[in-house]
Amino acid sequence: MTRRRLYPIIAIVCSLAYAWLFLFNHAHDEENSHVQTVCIVKNVTGVPCPSCGSTRSIFMLMQGDFLGAAKANPIGLISALVLIVAPLWLFFDLIKRRETLLEFYLTFEQFIRKKQHAIPAITLVIANWIWNIYKGY
Amino acid sequence: MEEQKVDMFILSNSKFFESHMVPQIRERLLAMDDSKWALIQTLQFKDPTTSIIVSLLAGGLGIDRFIIGDTGMGVGKLLTCGGLGIWTIVDWFMIMDATRQKNMLKLSQYL
Repeated sequence: MTRRRLYPIIAIVCSLAYAWLFLFNHAHDEENSHVQTVCIVKNVTGVPCPSCGSTRSIFMLMQGDFLGAAKANPIGLISALVLIVAPLWLFFDLIKRRETLLEFYLTFEQFIRKKQHAIPAITLVIANWIWNIYKGY
Repeated sequence: MEEQKVDMFILSNSKFFESHMVPQIRERLLAMDDSKWALIQTLQFKDPTTSIIVSLLAGGLGIDRFIIGDTGMGVGKLLTCGGLGIWTIVDWFMIMDATRQKNMLKLSQYL
């Protein structure tokens, strides 16, 4: 992974996420909301994916309901953190002409690839998935 | 290295690499020392066909990215419902070349 590939991807994903949040908020206001879900897994199989419900979680977080957000989907909390930190970090790197975000990304990749970190992470995601299905999202 | 061995390697492994990289691989293999041949021969590469199948079936969870060793991108896809479904669709077209690039990265460690 190089700076020239990673930074555009982060920029595109973050702007898409903000656009989605804006769209969802807008559709929510109009009451006759037909914007339901874009999740491919849920649309194809009818079963929610591990991160279904993160949008609701982020909206609850924006209203200050931390517990509700964690109950809706804990992954929403991580996403919210990433959505706040990543663009700032990206701008910092672009202005200072440094590669701290890339270095962090590579370190994180090395970290999560180790078995003692990967297995708990996978277990947590699967547990969250089961919880999601149980909640019926 | 002998031309015959190199051509045999290219013949059986060219599908694992991007087509524009193959002549370069051939050049570098020809210039390489004979002692590395055994090592090169035992390298396992990821099949682009496998990754497109995984991408079609489980791309929404980022499994395709995990499989080719792109763990960071995989986590990104997993946590965002496959990038709101858009990243999943983009990856149906990108994953084969991404696999080939990863294979090249692996081979170039030994070249």
